[in-house]
Amino acid sequence: MPTKSYKKYISLFTFVAPAFILYAVFLLIPTISGMVYSFTDWNGLNRNYDFIGFGNFVEALTEDPDFVGSLLFTLKYVVFMVVLQNVFALLLAVFIESRRKTKGFFRTIFFMPNMISTIISAFMWTFVFAQVLPQLAEKTALTFLDQAWIGDPKVSFFSILTVSLWNGVGYMMIIYLAGLQGVPQSLKEAARIDGANAFQTFRNVTLPMITHAITICFFLTLNGAFKVFEVVYGLTGGGPGRSTQVITMNIYEEAFSNNFRYGYASAKSVILFIIILIFTFIQIQVMKRREVEA
Amino acid sequence: MRQNKASSILITVILSIGAAISFFPIYLAIINSFKTQGEMFKSFISLPTKLHFNNYADAFNQINLLNSTVNSIVISVIGIAGIVFCAALAGYKLSRTSGKISSFIFFLFIASMLVPFHSIMIPLTRMAKALSVQGSTYGLAIIYIGLGVNMAIFLYHGFVKSIPRELEEAAQIDGCNEYQTFFKIIFPLLVPITVTISILDFLWIWNDFLLPLLMLTDTSNYTLILSTNTLFGEYNKEWSLILAALVLTAIPVIIIYSFFQRFIMHGIAEGAVKG
Repeated sequence: MPTKSYKKYISLFTFVAPAFILYAVFLLIPTISGMVYSFTDWNGLNRNYDFIGFGNFVEALTEDPDFVGSLLFTLKYVVFMVVLQNVFALLLAVFIESRRKTKGFFRTIFFMPNMISTIISAFMWTFVFAQVLPQLAEKTALTFLDQAWIGDPKVSFFSILTVSLWNGVGYMMIIYLAGLQGVPQSLKEAARIDGANAFQTFRNVTLPMITHAITICFFLTLNGAFKVFEVVYGLTGGGPGRSTQVITMNIYEEAFSNNFRYGYASAKSVILFIIILIFTFIQIQVMKRREVEA
Repeated sequence: MRQNKASSILITVILSIGAAISFFPIYLAIINSFKTQGEMFKSFISLPTKLHFNNYADAFNQINLLNSTVNSIVISVIGIAGIVFCAALAGYKLSRTSGKISSFIFFLFIASMLVPFHSIMIPLTRMAKALSVQGSTYGLAIIYIGLGVNMAIFLYHGFVKSIPRELEEAAQIDGCNEYQTFFKIIFPLLVPITVTISILDFLWIWNDFLLPLLMLTDTSNYTLILSTNTLFGEYNKEWSLILAALVLTAIPVIIIYSFFQRFIMHGIAEGAVKG
């Protein structure tokens, strides 16, 4: 008997080893070592460093206005993105699902931007914001198009949202479409016969049937929005100044601008990780409860 | 009934306007990439009077398109092949082995899917330097394997459950060892999920920006996205050139999209439902 279980582990080991080794080297160990270094004052060069407890964390959250600013900006972005991305995606999915002949066409068009790399999307929109819209405003009566779409942080927040939505809505739309296809036609018809209008049918029949898709999409949008980097990098670069800097860019700047505060930058990374974990955990808890009720 | 018809037309109108807005930036990028700089600044939205391919020739040379494309293909192919190979083996075995050790390893893989890339980019860069895989296309491809296996294992793990164990038992009675059984019997049955995984990983690796930015230092190693980024930084005002580069970068994914649209959408829906 011991030889059999011994054999079982050898076989498990040989099958899992290739994946596990690469995973350990490039994901597991960096995750753990980042956490360890976040408690130190290591500068990334010296062999010696000291453990300084929560010092880095306290400093980041209380003495680093740039970091706190980027954190707040990211939170604002997350709130807008989670709501808008899901509302748009669900609306599109419901509308497209109701078409017969043009369903495939609209699905193709609305999903297409999602195929294009986020950074390339940001560059394309930079062209639209910086060149096309001002010219349109000049040539037509649409003067409201003449804005500092990228230069003014108040306006560029919405430019950033626009590009993020343009790039991301299609993905959620596909998940919602798949969810909608799982709603039996007979249920909707029964509701209609009982006198429900289109909105009532949607509210009381369709929506409860797709709660699982909603949970998934909220999870994905929440996670993705906290990690926003490319759109902002491509559009505003975090500027002007640091007015549109998001948390990932702040970490990037701290880590790769030769500040030599490796431990401090790691602490910021860990803060990001913990924030995402907390928000995700709350979201899953709340929505799972709803799923059960529904 | 008439109200129904009216609302149906309204929905079509809304969708059409939305579709036009959605396609507008792509349309602008394409038409303006065929104009001269002068023609472009006269009007951005009018169609080009004559197709200028000069921008494309310039962009092609500036970003060393051929070289960058080859790099992107090499990284994607090695990355995907590696992920599929490693994850299929591990996902299959973890799914078939009961016990605490197996469950714990599986849990480790799955839990790591929650780790944001930005939280590990600093130690990962140091690790890559220490192992001297930084600055090499092959090194980057290997890192993608390490970062991508968790999700693939998760999908394989679920898929293997739908394959009856009797198949393996029969193969073993016929004299196959474990590895032969896997490669000859099991792996061919995993094709549907392998296609899904390959497409999702292709889109991820091909379109990725931050990891190549951190890992590749020499322009001769640059991926398509990185080269375009450099071009964008250097030729700030030459929009006709930049737009041509953007279109060239987007073409491969658009082609893949037009061929594999169903697979991609199916893959996203399936990947999401299981996640």
